[in-house]
Amino acid sequence: MAQNQRPKSLLDSLGEEIIRILTPVSICMLLVVLLVSILNSSSSLYVTSSIATIAYSETGSDSSWDKFIGALLNSLVFVAVVTVATFILVLFFYLKCSKFLKIYMGFSSFVVLGFMGGEIALFLIEEFSVPVDCITFLVLLFNFAVIGVLAVFMSKMPIIVTQGYLVLIGMLVAYWFTLLPEWTTWVLLVAMALYDLAAVLLPVGPLRLLVELAMSRDEDIPALVYEARPVTHHDSASRPVQTRIWRERQNARLDSEDSSSLNSDLNSTVSIVQSSHNGARIARVEEGQVSQRDAELSAPLIDHRMDAQDGLSTESLMLEGMGLGSSGAIKLGLGDFIFYSVLVGRAAMYDFMTVYACYLAIVAGLGITLMLLALYQKALPALPVSIALGVLFYFLTRFLLEVFIVQCSLNLLMF
Amino acid sequence: MEASQSQASANAALNPHPNPNSNYTNNSNSILSSTPVWPTIDGPLGLSEEESLAYARRFYKFGYALLPFLWAINCFYFWPVLRHSRSFPRLRPYVVSSAIGFSVFSVILSSWALTFAIGGEHLFGSTWDQLVMYNVADRLGLTGWS
Repeated sequence: MAQNQRPKSLLDSLGEEIIRILTPVSICMLLVVLLVSILNSSSSLYVTSSIATIAYSETGSDSSWDKFIGALLNSLVFVAVVTVATFILVLFFYLKCSKFLKIYMGFSSFVVLGFMGGEIALFLIEEFSVPVDCITFLVLLFNFAVIGVLAVFMSKMPIIVTQGYLVLIGMLVAYWFTLLPEWTTWVLLVAMALYDLAAVLLPVGPLRLLVELAMSRDEDIPALVYEARPVTHHDSASRPVQTRIWRERQNARLDSEDSSSLNSDLNSTVSIVQSSHNGARIARVEEGQVSQRDAELSAPLIDHRMDAQDGLSTESLMLEGMGLGSSGAIKLGLGDFIFYSVLVGRAAMYDFMTVYACYLAIVAGLGITLMLLALYQKALPALPVSIALGVLFYFLTRFLLEVFIVQCSLNLLMF
Repeated sequence: MEASQSQASANAALNPHPNPNSNYTNNSNSILSSTPVWPTIDGPLGLSEEESLAYARRFYKFGYALLPFLWAINCFYFWPVLRHSRSFPRLRPYVVSSAIGFSVFSVILSSWALTFAIGGEHLFGSTWDQLVMYNVADRLGLTGWS
């Protein structure tokens, strides 16, 4: 309505960029909440075994202190595994084994999309008794997985397809994480936030090493990262963003690490995102998370183990952290998507009130991180602020707010 | 933020530009012909014409490996090529063949799936129970989680 010549303020473009990164995060969280509320309506009696529960398997009858100690041990193991995986990634990157990393990442993402996606699809089919036959299902699943692998890092695809697949991968891994026992999940989230902080900001942190290595060599780091579409401006005196080509993401790779043990396969996702060749913008990538699956050498069991895959280790590199792309677009690591969604999914297992509170807390944290990013212009960990606020608000809501609201509703004061 | 710009940007955020001409101040296209400059749906963020040829051909060929979704992606990605029938003559055969291939495949698959779903046990008898996915999953123990 105002004249066209009114100079665009920072607020216009910043708001647009924030929306473009908030939308996929919100969609991922929404999908995980939906999955959790559909599929977990019956309490599952079995606990999935994985690396995250290797130290201690939580059962319902332990005391709180035992559960807490067990969860702490589990998280320490997990963080240690992730650290080792990241250092191995740094090593591979240092030795320039890019082809190996790329193949491994492709393999991992195929397994994540194919097997985890297939399992969740089977859950949904059983839940709703969809009369689909196995031939159709297999064809569709195969297509879905192959195109996902191509879209995420092998070939150039429509931007919306790539973004959609990244969100789907985040959703699948996040749903898997919500199957962990409760105390373990919360302590794990806090531990990963602390690890993220350390790995990105400390000079000895693996992610920082990786970013510096990549910048000194002027290469791109292999990683899974979500890059928002750059904001174009319609001014005649527009910035060069308008004509800049979308950055070729040949470095997105998945990193996986082979576990040597018989019975556990590690899926470590470490992703590092690196961006910007221009000096001013720095891309930051963080390391991803580790998801593990236990592989049984025997036939698939019907008990609480996950489905058997002999000797498969899937690792995907996910990114945690934010940075600025070479075209100025904001990049957010896939690990961030995953851990935010895990938090909200776990909140959904309690009640929807906690979901709303945690969602708002996470979005606020993300906004703060974006502002810090604009302020410091370097790669920053995106997990700590959001996870801290999310966990805080979950416990406050669960223990304080709910009582208040329930009493108000029961006495017809406020609904 | 002005409402019009925010809406345009919001549309741009969620949908790829369906009409690449809106971004350009380049006025070499007349109002009548409106041949697009960019062959991909991403506009300036997508591929140039030479790279597009290689991609279109590769998508088309790999689609024969039981990957009809690749054909669908081909059509979606090069939507401006399909829409403007006289543009990009080198790309057009691949994209059109992909479109035809995808339609044929989807007709075949959906007719089979619908027959299976609607016909049910009346049509297939006992083999329906053997083919339907939730039974297969139970038999093979694929959903051993819960």
